[in-house]
Amino acid sequence: MNKPKIGWFCTYTPVEIIEAAGLEPYGVRVNSGKAHEDVYLGDAMCSYVRSCLGGALSGDYDFLDGVVIAHSCECMRRFYDGWMFKQEDIKPDCLHFLDVPRIYTEKSIDFFAAEIERLKEKLEERYGEISPGALSEAVARSAYTSKLLSQLNESRKSDAPFVTGAQIQKLMIQSMTTPRDQFNSELEAILGNKTAVTDHSRKPRIMVYGGPASSSLIDAIEDSGGIVVLEHMCNGLRQIKADVGQDENPCKYLARSYLAKPPCPRMVGEHSIFGMSQIQKMVSEYRVAGIIFFSIKFCANSQAFWPMFKDTLAGDVPVKMLEGDVSPDVNVREVQSFVKKLARRTERHVTGTEG
Amino acid sequence: MSPEQKVSENTEQRKIQFRNFAAMTGLDEDSMMEAARQNFVKPWDELSASQKRGRLLTGQLLQSFNKNPGNNDEYRVVAWRSLFMPTEITYAMGILPFTTEMFAAQLALSGLAGGRLETAEGSGFSPDLCSFIKTGAGAVLENILPSPDIILTTTHLCDPAAKFASYTAQKYNRPEFVLDVPYGLWSLGNNASDIRKLENAVSYVASQLEDMVEFITRETGLKLDESKLVSVIENTNAARKWLMMGNDLTLYTVPAISLGSKELNYAANLMQTWGTEEIIDVYKSRYEELQAAADSAEGDPTRPRIVWFHLRPYYRNSILEYIEERVDIVQTQVNYVFWDELDVSDPYRAMASKMLFHPGYCPVGIRTQMIIDRMQKGDGIIAFYPKSCRHFHSSARIETEMFKKAGIPMLIIDGDCIDSRGDDFHVMKTRIDRFLKGLQSQARNDDRTISSSGI
Repeated sequence: MNKPKIGWFCTYTPVEIIEAAGLEPYGVRVNSGKAHEDVYLGDAMCSYVRSCLGGALSGDYDFLDGVVIAHSCECMRRFYDGWMFKQEDIKPDCLHFLDVPRIYTEKSIDFFAAEIERLKEKLEERYGEISPGALSEAVARSAYTSKLLSQLNESRKSDAPFVTGAQIQKLMIQSMTTPRDQFNSELEAILGNKTAVTDHSRKPRIMVYGGPASSSLIDAIEDSGGIVVLEHMCNGLRQIKADVGQDENPCKYLARSYLAKPPCPRMVGEHSIFGMSQIQKMVSEYRVAGIIFFSIKFCANSQAFWPMFKDTLAGDVPVKMLEGDVSPDVNVREVQSFVKKLARRTERHVTGTEG
Repeated sequence: MSPEQKVSENTEQRKIQFRNFAAMTGLDEDSMMEAARQNFVKPWDELSASQKRGRLLTGQLLQSFNKNPGNNDEYRVVAWRSLFMPTEITYAMGILPFTTEMFAAQLALSGLAGGRLETAEGSGFSPDLCSFIKTGAGAVLENILPSPDIILTTTHLCDPAAKFASYTAQKYNRPEFVLDVPYGLWSLGNNASDIRKLENAVSYVASQLEDMVEFITRETGLKLDESKLVSVIENTNAARKWLMMGNDLTLYTVPAISLGSKELNYAANLMQTWGTEEIIDVYKSRYEELQAAADSAEGDPTRPRIVWFHLRPYYRNSILEYIEERVDIVQTQVNYVFWDELDVSDPYRAMASKMLFHPGYCPVGIRTQMIIDRMQKGDGIIAFYPKSCRHFHSSARIETEMFKKAGIPMLIIDGDCIDSRGDDFHVMKTRIDRFLKGLQSQARNDDRTISSSGI
């Protein structure tokens, strides 16, 4: 029997609660709505949010039974307003608006745990009780996904990663809509068959930092001769929950593991600073030759984070800022120019002619 | 870094920063201080309300550079605050707040924002970002702002402000406290889950305010005297009362008694002066001036009236003048008293509630309905929404539709408060003319009822 599907839009949405309710979480992808819906939210809004509302208004999500919108940022906040304003014209109900703290402290974890509990109650009202056993199982299965994805990313530290960035993108997109057990099985199969098909050792190793982006960005980098070794993005690292040990209260465990994950630019305070030091560590561990900072136009968090990001990494690694939207249109020439520059540096490094 | 080391570093840095600030205005330090002293000669009691406000803010700005035009120069512990951070705790601990957005507005008024905007954009701040923030960023990069001792930030309403605060913490190597504020409490109902959420949210913010006091003590060595906090909050409550009484006069007196453009300069609910003794007198004087004007009100009682949303353009322009030649701006959103009197017996929860129930930080539909319920029949709305303000600009269409349905005319002006580079008066004028023509044809109901806090 097909399970009712519940849409989600932000990686800070604890999908485990949806799974524990016997429902199927459906991550709304960057290409699933209408790219330029700006009627209700204006034209100074991030294209992901505009696309999502456009999709809702044009019936693209009519197969969903409902959605959960997370309070990630000011654009998502307004997305919720737009959805509620037009709810009569949109088939799926907005079941819950989830408040997500922007700091990572013991108090914010407690507050977020209570918010997750509220989400659980909302789903229970509509779909029946969520048993403690079902919740524990959902949490365990999700933790297993994160463990497998972490192993996959770990393998990309090697000179010749057996997966490309493009392949990872396909997987991450798949993860948003594929039932958990099926996806875990596929990951197990991939990890069980680690064979490097190509030697990528002479290619510049690139990290992409950004929000939700079209996979055409990753394609453009790899088509230009680079190899993407890490995606610090919504469709990447931010889908992997932090390993935070055990907690008797599953909602508190979820709150901690979501808030502790590699931070989105929405996060502020000490965790944001910690996130920068994490990136510096990743640059070293993954031997990153360059970073593409992909900022969605009108994403204020991302745009306002960029000056700090580049200042912090200055001297460590070349960083290139690219601005765009969620459409597949990527400024390929800029990507090519950056990758070529990095390729020359990598070649000098490999052949020992650096300096 | 110890508080003493910060004081020592800041003392030296602020000398340079004040010199840079003066140079930007075309003056040397002595000339600037002399000009300031001249402005402080006239006794306080002889000043108008807006002059008192100006002196208070000028004095605070100079003090943040350790300068004092009325007395001897002395070191002041300065907390940079984001726009929606309450100021009562800082005043109670003897700390001077500094608000970069207010400084940005001042630069725009003086025609000095453009250069700062270009500096910021040249250093990676996107042209799409809020121009208040970018002007502040340019000023940081040009080293014309007084180095902070600490930075206090909230997460509500404005995303770029919170990110900018982190940037400044890194630039000045000063500690930052971030206060996380949950969203949407206005939309809660009476069921058990919603009541629990409300309680959780108030407790969460209140306990963070207490943590902030500990943070300030740790970083500055200054301790909070609870009785001083009570007295500061009493100042806020007294100022609030006068502000509300003045608001009622501007809103309900016919014919109109004040210039909305002048009223917009108070931007009361954003100001860093809540909690001072002086601000009580500022709003009391404003009320007395408005009352005197009401007693002798003359003019055309049939002139169209509007409520102004958001802020004004601070750079030199003719928009407000043009509008006010044709209609009366009788109320301004930025002077709206949205909060209840703060409970001095429970100050942290009172301040937390004030933050949580900021009407700008609630779903647009609810916010708009609250305004519809308070609007006077026949009055219109002009919203000056900068495109770089995601928060308000993105509300425009939903608001317009709701107000239209309620029979309230609304004009949205896509402008910018600080950045004059895209200003096109002629385009705006065409839209304003069309709107005012429609407004003038509306019948107005003079049978006004009194509320206690305006729109």
